[in-house]
Amino acid sequence: MRQARTVISTYSADTFGVCSALYELGGMVVMHDASGCNSTYTTHDEPRWYNSDSLVFISGLTEMDAIMGNDDKLKDDVISAVEELKPKFVAIAGTPIPMMNGCDLEAVAMEIEAEAGLPCFGFQTNGMQSYLVGASEALCEFARRLTDKDAKKRQRAVNVLGATPLDFSINGSVESIKKLLKDSGWEIIGTWAMGSSLDDLARAGEAAVNLVISSVGLKTAIYLNQTFGTPYVVGTPNDKCFSEMVLRDLELAENDGKSRISFSNLEASAETRIYIVGEGVTSRSLAAAIGIKSGIVPKVVHTLEGLPELSGVLSKMDNQAMEEEEIQKAASDAQIVIADPLYRPILPGNCRFIALPHEAFSGRMFRKDIPDFTKIDVEKMLGQYEI
Amino acid sequence: MIKLAIYGKGGIGKSTTVSNLAAALAEKGLKVMQIGCDPKADSTGSLHHLDRVDTVLELVKERKNDFELEDMVHEGYKGVLCVEAGGPTPGMGCAGRGIIAALEKLAEKGAYEKYKPDVVFYDVLGDVVCGGFSMPMRGGYADKVFIITSGENMAIHAAANIAMAVENFKGRGYAQLGGIILNCRDVKNEAEKVEELAEDINSKIVGRLSRSETVQAAEDLNMTVLEAFPDSEMAGEYRLLATKIMAECGVEI
Ligand SMILES: Nc1ncnc2c1ncn2[C@@H]1O[C@H](COP(=O)(O)OP(=O)(O)O)[C@@H](O)[C@H]1O
Ligand SMILES: [Mg+2]
Repeated sequence: MRQARTVISTYSADTFGVCSALYELGGMVVMHDASGCNSTYTTHDEPRWYNSDSLVFISGLTEMDAIMGNDDKLKDDVISAVEELKPKFVAIAGTPIPMMNGCDLEAVAMEIEAEAGLPCFGFQTNGMQSYLVGASEALCEFARRLTDKDAKKRQRAVNVLGATPLDFSINGSVESIKKLLKDSGWEIIGTWAMGSSLDDLARAGEAAVNLVISSVGLKTAIYLNQTFGTPYVVGTPNDKCFSEMVLRDLELAENDGKSRISFSNLEASAETRIYIVGEGVTSRSLAAAIGIKSGIVPKVVHTLEGLPELSGVLSKMDNQAMEEEEIQKAASDAQIVIADPLYRPILPGNCRFIALPHEAFSGRMFRKDIPDFTKIDVEKMLGQYEI
Repeated sequence: MIKLAIYGKGGIGKSTTVSNLAAALAEKGLKVMQIGCDPKADSTGSLHHLDRVDTVLELVKERKNDFELEDMVHEGYKGVLCVEAGGPTPGMGCAGRGIIAALEKLAEKGAYEKYKPDVVFYDVLGDVVCGGFSMPMRGGYADKVFIITSGENMAIHAAANIAMAVENFKGRGYAQLGGIILNCRDVKNEAEKVEELAEDINSKIVGRLSRSETVQAAEDLNMTVLEAFPDSEMAGEYRLLATKIMAECGVEI
């Protein structure tokens, strides 16, 4: 059956990507949607919900408002909430209903911005694309609108782009990546967007180089490159052997101003039957680490759609497979697979399976087993398996 | 790139007028793209002369994303690039949402970058009855809206509604009202009535077209007047109107 998922889970949607990316920045995020269960935008996909506050609202779209195109209600409600709660910015994001009746949220945002006098972003999300689309657009829009365009570059300063709990959970992975950078003498300007304030992010132009640690950060990296001329390095630090490559590339990029993809020289081995299934950048980074250690680079089955920027990141041997059947086919000859545990049932029964839970796919189910990326030791990970 | 949306009551002569304007501009050497935004998909026939062309929505429905830009764009008279958005089965689905999907698909496939047209016309169905039909005037689409009307009350009423929609959207960065095109039906006090409309909506009549048998004669040949009867008086009227509309957009031709 095409386009159907009968066994595996689905990824967090674009709507939630927006919420996740903007969660810590002091703004107000309004999902233009029917009222009811808000937990899809908060508790299910948002591990920070219980420990830190964020203004995430549902507009309470009614059938009549949708039919009558009553955008004024959304506008008025947002403006009165702004007066009461004084957020630093507003983001309104679409869901299936407004998307179906053609509500132009970018235009509504423009009207709110003019009336309320604070930055307001409109996102044409529709709940049918993956979190990558929403999160990367949210970060990039933030970069377009709120970064200080007169910022002066500083030596050995770096932004970390693409940090959300959807890819890194809240188990210290992002902090460890930051520590790794600091220990190598880098000053971190902003981490987009975990653990940094709106003001930190606004200073993005000061960085000498940007580090993209997931697909979510790519679009912003490209924008910052075009706007400030900042080169970027794509790679998620993991095993020491690959982290060192990333650190070396950061230095090279700072020196010659050229962007780099740290795993680009480690093409997947044509013959290999080892696969990593999941998000492109983190998976390719892990494949690279395995390649460095074992001489065999696993193939990546990239399971998320919608980011044109990503095509430059994947290896020729990799596979883009979104649907259950495609994923199943792409890994049908697998001997070893590294993937979220919810993929296990569609993989060959006799393959050896190494669990690498992914919050955006299995939520909190296996959260305690999500590793701190920088503490991954690929030899240990592959452990008993001969490759 | 100049992008213009043409609105007006159904049957008032939008497709006929736009096709002739497109032909007139193409004769002057401009690269013109005409996008029919009407589920009837009958905007561009007099330019490409084909029995039928695949609409954008038919392609999406049948082939998902597995088709090329060229499948949607059909070259017609003097190289005018013809596109029909298409729409759902009459009485089903959502035509307005269809227009949005079609225009997004066209942009996604790089139509504007690839063909780099000098002028794009959106020939939009009847009244702005729902969000979908305002799509061609949204940010990133048309820069200016021209409304076609005659002196008939229904046509004037529709024109006033369209002007009101444009006015309501003024904080949204949408297209601005470029002016009114009077397509005469030879009703009583026609010019006065349309003048009055223009005043009411703070706009002006940018051009006037006579009611002419030549138009119907050309239609019978499935051609534009410019192609079928290039030396006719009516062809001259369309050429003059094309010049005036371009002048409204700050371009001398
Ligand atoms: N200036 C005109 N003189 C005579 N007939 C006209 C004129 N303009 C349009 N028509 C006729 O009016 C009819 C409807 O025109 P059409 O362009 O299909 O309208 P619309 O696209 O607004 O629905 C056609 O038969 C057309 O030939
Ligand atoms: Mg028509």
